[in-house]
Amino acid sequence: MSAVSVAPSTPLPAVTKVPFGRLLLVEWRKMTDTRAGRALLIISAGMLLLAMGIVVLVAALNDNFSLGLSTWSSILTIPLSLLTPVLAIMIVTQEWGQRTNMVTFSLEPSRLRVMAAKLVAVVAFALALIAVALLCGIVGNALAAAVGGYDASWSIDGQVLGWTIAQQLLYFVSAFGIAMCLLSTPFSIVVVYVDQLLLPLMVWSTLYFIFDWAADLIPFIDMGYAMSPFMGAGGMMPDGTQLPDPGTQEVLALICSIFLWVVVPVVLGAYRVLKSEVK
Amino acid sequence: MYAMIKVEGLTRVYGTFTAVDDVSFTAEAGKVTGFLGPNGAGKSTTMRIMVGLTNPTKGRATINGSLYADLPNPGRHVGVLLDASAQHDGRTGREVLTLAAMTMGLPKSRVDEMLELVSLTPSEAKRRIKNYSLGMKQRLGIAHALIGDPKVLILDEPANGLDPAGIRWMRGLLKEYADRGGTVLLSSHLLHEVEQIADELILIGNGRIVAEGTKDTILASQGTAGQSLVTSLDNEALTVALKAKGYSVEPLGTGMRVSAAPAEVGRAALESNVVLTDLRDGGAGLEDIFLQLTAETQRENVAQIHAEGVSA
Repeated sequence: MSAVSVAPSTPLPAVTKVPFGRLLLVEWRKMTDTRAGRALLIISAGMLLLAMGIVVLVAALNDNFSLGLSTWSSILTIPLSLLTPVLAIMIVTQEWGQRTNMVTFSLEPSRLRVMAAKLVAVVAFALALIAVALLCGIVGNALAAAVGGYDASWSIDGQVLGWTIAQQLLYFVSAFGIAMCLLSTPFSIVVVYVDQLLLPLMVWSTLYFIFDWAADLIPFIDMGYAMSPFMGAGGMMPDGTQLPDPGTQEVLALICSIFLWVVVPVVLGAYRVLKSEVK
Repeated sequence: MYAMIKVEGLTRVYGTFTAVDDVSFTAEAGKVTGFLGPNGAGKSTTMRIMVGLTNPTKGRATINGSLYADLPNPGRHVGVLLDASAQHDGRTGREVLTLAAMTMGLPKSRVDEMLELVSLTPSEAKRRIKNYSLGMKQRLGIAHALIGDPKVLILDEPANGLDPAGIRWMRGLLKEYADRGGTVLLSSHLLHEVEQIADELILIGNGRIVAEGTKDTILASQGTAGQSLVTSLDNEALTVALKAKGYSVEPLGTGMRVSAAPAEVGRAALESNVVLTDLRDGGAGLEDIFLQLTAETQRENVAQIHAEGVSA
């Protein structure tokens, strides 16, 4: 039927371990070679442009409206934080949902190396997306200033920017860990959105206002609240009061919340991936 | 260096259920080993353990003396096809092979070679797997298993979904592969698929090996060889001649069952000048033995089906 020989070559080829860089390239490619993956990227880009467009429109329609680059960066964080966790989840759960893990782990039996390659690939992806968002912010800032008729402010606090990026990445790794624990796309998305969006906005904020103990407790169990004191001078707590400078308690809260939502899910998830039967 | 698969005392227990029960066998280089058993007999579990996707409760499986997990770049040593449907629906066939080639560090030209080998046309290769038939997925799976030019092939139900021409093609391909020194282990629940291609057979039922060896040794070990069914123009004369040679004869329909190999019956007929109208091997086929040996694990009661078949 075919002229191509199927004979196994002799002698055995001198084969070396699959280098990590190659695993990384493969995982990078897997993010974009399906329709679902590409759709997610297009939606991410679309949301960034939409957010940018809306702000420029508001600037154009309001006379007494001006905003600087730091505001832009916090606005564009919103579409990013909405979408990037899905990327982190999908790169893990898709393998189980589509059962491609059988192929992936038979080509590279070290499951930890595969998961590490996935994590590095998807973090690189997130950083690229953040860079695009910053670019959008710069373009948007200039555009809004031009149509709004005010002088653009280009000042941005490095500390705020650094913490914003760190926060995005921590949320991102947290989502990756939760996905490894649950190994299911819908469950992981629900848990991540409840943890990262629903609880902070709907539950913690209410409790924070009403109870004194909540203000002490919540930063220990929520990364967003734990990080806000570090966002630098001028940061506001959700109730509008000025932030105190971070002390020992704030540092402890930060460590505790990161342990709870990043370290624990990643360790438990890695254990599950290692031990689970692939079928 | 002979590349062989060695399975030693492999056991896998799920709670109170023992899926694989102390299975030991060797699949040798240059041979096609058929792994045969009804659904749920433990074939797939055994194969998953071989490639490190399932952990054994006891025992081990080695390829060329080392555990699968210890093989560097295992795709270059062992070609694996466990489930042709376990591919991302949204990827194209070409993309699936490209990812494999990238992981193994192979040139892209290998992808085209494999597509040609399994007769997937360029336009088919560009389609998403969602739109593939099971037969096309199997072809892609075989291409995926062969792309790393491995010494060993582990294939779980590779003929599933292939059309008769496809099955014949695969048979030839695996035969050629084994003839040139490769080791092939393939599983099936369909006896006739495996019977014609496998040099060695391993029959498994309820997680245990119930018989192993070549087709002939399995037949012989079950004591059904050396029986013939014969019909002639003069059954009485032939009966006398056969009984004179010491064989037992019993009437069966229009002919007789004789406790001798067909050659002996033919010789007796020749010597007594009886014209034969039908002479064939009356031993139980491999299929009978297969059903009998795995009877406990069959979902249907085979004896009952036979009875119903007769009365119907």
